[in-house]
Amino acid sequence: MSYPQPRIEMFTERAKLSAGREQTVDVLIRITPPEPTATDEARRRPALNLSLVLDRSGSMGGAKMERAREAAAYCIEQLLPTDRISVVVFDDKIEVLIPSQLAENKSALKETLAHIYARSSTALHEAWVRGGIQVGEHLTDGAVNRVLLITDGQANIGLTNTDEIVTQALNLHQRGVSTSTIGIGADFNEDLLLPMAQSGGGNAWHVEHAEDMQRIFAVELEGLIAQVGHTVTLSLVPSDGARITDLLNDFELNETGRYKLPNLQAGTPLEVVVQVRVPAQGAGTRLRLLDLKLGYTPQQARSAEVVRNFLEVEFAPEEAVAELPQDVSVVKAVQMLMNARARREAMAYMDAGNYDMYREVVTSSIASSRRAFAPMAADADVIAEMSSLRDLADTANDRAQDSMSRKKLSYRSYDLSRSRRGGK
Amino acid sequence: MNSPLENIRGQKYIGVVELANQAARILAQIGTTQDRGTVSEMPDERTLRYYLAEGLLSPASEKQGTASVFGYQHLLQLLVVKKLQSEHLPIRKIKELVDGRSERELERLLGLDAKAGAKNEALSYLEKLLTRSTSPASVLRTQNTAARPAPEMTRPAPNLSTRRQAAPSSPATWERVEIEPGLELHVRGDYAPPVEAKGVRRLTRLILNVLAAQHGNKRK
Repeated sequence: MSYPQPRIEMFTERAKLSAGREQTVDVLIRITPPEPTATDEARRRPALNLSLVLDRSGSMGGAKMERAREAAAYCIEQLLPTDRISVVVFDDKIEVLIPSQLAENKSALKETLAHIYARSSTALHEAWVRGGIQVGEHLTDGAVNRVLLITDGQANIGLTNTDEIVTQALNLHQRGVSTSTIGIGADFNEDLLLPMAQSGGGNAWHVEHAEDMQRIFAVELEGLIAQVGHTVTLSLVPSDGARITDLLNDFELNETGRYKLPNLQAGTPLEVVVQVRVPAQGAGTRLRLLDLKLGYTPQQARSAEVVRNFLEVEFAPEEAVAELPQDVSVVKAVQMLMNARARREAMAYMDAGNYDMYREVVTSSIASSRRAFAPMAADADVIAEMSSLRDLADTANDRAQDSMSRKKLSYRSYDLSRSRRGGK
Repeated sequence: MNSPLENIRGQKYIGVVELANQAARILAQIGTTQDRGTVSEMPDERTLRYYLAEGLLSPASEKQGTASVFGYQHLLQLLVVKKLQSEHLPIRKIKELVDGRSERELERLLGLDAKAGAKNEALSYLEKLLTRSTSPASVLRTQNTAARPAPEMTRPAPNLSTRRQAAPSSPATWERVEIEPGLELHVRGDYAPPVEAKGVRRLTRLILNVLAAQHGNKRK
């Protein structure tokens, strides 16, 4: 059986490379997941097998709890009767409020949600496991089997060791159940929730204000429905003499030395930037610079598929290359990823208490972004990014904002590396 | 659990009666092994003719004399229809869900595909996480209830890993179990059911008393 394949394109800033000198080239790799085709099988979206694992510890009281309930109700509303849903609520106790079932009697399901009230402390880990069991009991090939963990707090009961929980999320993902996390407000542990989703094969979301909850839910659900492939890996082989010096997205390597990429979602191209050190070539030379292999498992399949492509570049005299038009999408992708890195750097300075350097990193990011983005200042992604940077600069002097700023830094950095730039 | 559909994929059924009987057999199995509630309600011949007329069952693809010959796909359709009916879905909705589905999709709707049958890796992993260790807290609780017979845990104990020693209180996990349609039990993870006859009688009496009182209230 064959499946529609993702499209892979590769670009350099200018159509040709300068001859006669060694150089480092930014190569933009754009991976466009296939849009569902007209055939019946493909049009039918993957079934969802979801567990909402919902924090109801004391801190969730008031608006947060209310918004979370609404968001969960919204989620139920969106499901088809063939989807499965379960709801696990937790504080120090864990209750499987709605055991996994087909999302048929929606009004009864929503009625059940109305009885969730905020209570005491947070047994996050076990609740996640319980949610996983609800999904696992009905594990379905071809479906998106996912636990969606929603919390505003830190695991303080049960297993609280971050590394261990993250490892478990990875192990569970490898067994077919993925995890997404939604952190609310400024008090949760982003160093747990973000890696948990990354290792867990899902998405990490930060809801700054309770009012945004439903929007985030909508995006997560759209993503689940649009998911066309998972377990995505990228391997890159440069030509003889050339070498890869950096992958700006900072994707992790898997055990076979391939980069681990996020799930493929229709309508959401992923841009990867790799830097290649190329030895000097004569003008007129054509070189097969980079060979690429994308591995992924189509949503409806059990086994992996591979797509191959390669980039061939031509070398021309420096002056001639400078005359060629600049591909601003390459410049944009590079700068976005640089800004993602800058945020992680800023975060490290913040953690070390070095606020001068923290401010310095933010300021210089703004300066370099202004320069790089100049030709595309009206681009929606660019506007979103500049506003995010300015927001950081505004709060960089306010220690009371640090907890929230740190979350913004880590989540925005994560989003940018996955081409989620927020412009829409 | 092995899927009750494991060995009957190639089987043919001559006439609606044979098909109905096979479906009834399987429904009985699913009903008892999966706590599926009212699915065990048996389809009869008349019901089947109605399903055929409504398009809930595809028409037979071959004939033997005057009898229609049905196959695995028909059996699955019938099982799915019964299952969805027991979940109180309207016929119109059921038709939408069954229409044009492949055998594999139908199996999936039944929750009887290969993965659902054998215990899958994800599930055994998660259950291992829950049972990995029993903490002092949970042992203590068992001792407190020493009047009861030693608990034979039928389901994993709550995850009270050793890390939890410092925790102010240990979480209790409540699970709902359906006893029969219309009746659920809410059971705490560390609850140990009585095993001796006396204890069992006491519990039965307690439950029946509560149910009787409920019933009485509703009548008033």
